[in-house]
Order: sequence, then C-alpha cells, then structure tokens
Amino acid sequence: MLHGVLDLCLLAVMGEGPAYGYEMTKRLRERGLSIVGEGSIYPLLGRLERDGLVETHRAASNGGPPRKYYNLSAEGEQALTAGVSEWQATRDGVDGALGLVKAEVRP
Amino acid sequence: MNEFVEECQREWRRLGVPQPVANEMAADLTADLEEAEAEGASPEDVLGNSAFDPRRFAAAWAIARGVTGVPVPDRPSLWRRPVPLALTVVLGALVVFAGLVLVVGARGHSFAVVSRRIVTGSGSIHLFAPGPGRIVVPGPPGPFAVSQVGNANPIAFAVLALAVVGLAVLAVLCWLTWPGLRRFPRPGWRRTQRWN
Repeated sequence: MLHGVLDLCLLAVMGEGPAYGYEMTKRLRERGLSIVGEGSIYPLLGRLERDGLVETHRAASNGGPPRKYYNLSAEGEQALTAGVSEWQATRDGVDGALGLVKAEVRP
Repeated sequence: MNEFVEECQREWRRLGVPQPVANEMAADLTADLEEAEAEGASPEDVLGNSAFDPRRFAAAWAIARGVTGVPVPDRPSLWRRPVPLALTVVLGALVVFAGLVLVVGARGHSFAVVSRRIVTGSGSIHLFAPGPGRIVVPGPPGPFAVSQVGNANPIAFAVLALAVVGLAVLAVLCWLTWPGLRRFPRPGWRRTQRWN
C-alpha cells in the first residue's frame, strides 16, 4: 500500500468512533482492506499516538479484558481532512493518467 | 500468553522497554489475538506478515511508540571505527603468529615462520636471506614455506602476551561503547524520542 495511505485509513475508521487494535483491523477488513500488510497496524498506531494524532484510553470491552481504545485527537481530525483532500487529488490525477489507457478485458 | 507474545516480551526486555509499557503492549496484543482466535481468524489476519517474525514486529512497535530504552548512537561505536578495527586485525595476527611460533618452537626448540605463498609457481617463498639454520620446504607447490631461524620462545611469548592484553583492552573499550549495553545517556548520545 502507498506510504501513508494506511495511516489515513486508520484515522478514517477511528473517525467512526473509538476502537481498539483488532477492532480497527476488522473495520478495515469490512471495507475491503483484508490484507493488513507487512508491518501490521500496531506500529502505525504507536506512531500516530506519538505524533499526537490519536488519543487513547482504557475501557472494558464486551465481556473481555480492558482494552486500549484509540480515538482521533483534534490534530488527527485535521490530518484526516487534509489527507482525504490530498488523496482525492492524487486519485483524480492517477485516474486521469490511467483513463487514457484502453484496457482489454479478456474472458 | 502465547509463544508469539512471549517472544515479543523478550525483545522488549532486550530493547530496554519499561516493564509497565511492555506489559501493557503484551496485554493488548494477547487480548487481540485471543479475540481473533475465538472468531476463527488467524494471527496473520491480525498481524499480517509480522506473525512470522515476532522480534521484528516487537521492535517496530516499540520504536514507533518511542519507548525503547536503548540509545541510538550518533556516531559509530568503537569497533566500527577504522583505527581500532585495524588495531584489532594487527593484534589478532600477532596472536596467531606468536602462537604458531610457540607451538612449533615447543616441538623442535626453534620457531618457524609460516608465510603464505603468494605465487603459484613451483618455487618456495623465503622470508629470510639464505643462511645456516634455515630450512626451506621445497615444492611441489604447497600453501606455505617454513623457515627455521633459531630459538626465540621468550620473544614470541612476550609478543603473544602483549597482543592478548591489547585485544582484551580493545574488547573492554568496545563493550563500553556498545549501543545495546548502555542504559544511561551521555553527551553525544540520544534516546528515542520519549517514553509513553
């Protein structure tokens, strides 16, 4: 996955509400990102936390042990907004370039 | 706690991650893995390819959080600098040389110089000018030429002792400057960004 895009996706699923690590993995999977990839999301969450883009708190999960929940900080919300705009501009540019290619669909 | 998490714990200990932080990460990881297992998901579904390399995963997570206690040197440690490295090579060569001299000398009351043949012809390479008391091992071509020049065990012993002491001093200096063994910062060194 492109550098920084998974960070953006994590911020996006956190925007739906606080979530713990595996919960975010499941949210990503529900949206079609079933392959977390080489580094898993934990180091990314650690970095986002260190950079102040997410806040954390501990709370009991459904019948399980207390979990560390991540949610967007104010800085994280700004980063998400800016990141989505940047991604859309990039996607439009790539679509424009690739749209010139006539792909042959073979059965 | 499963084997993967235990391996992570060992890596965090090695990296100097504070115990409470390591325990917290281990607990979160364990809970996630257990929940995934209960749902029929594999560790790979949670960790990706990192499921096959716990040490790398643990290190990446700790570094990303900035909780490693091992300082990162701003300059190479002693053993990576050219002068100590060259000194180590020279002293090592002296140990081997003096050791050979002592071993051969103990058998024949003389010492031998073993020199590597640098040509591939049929002749031998001699370190010393022709003279009495010198033995040259002739062809067929072998890797070494041996010359007997006289008794010199005390000298060889002194060289060996000095070289060993020199290597020991170098080893201590390298150990003191090894990044993974130092737990306290000093000028010129920096910790990872902050403790969470």
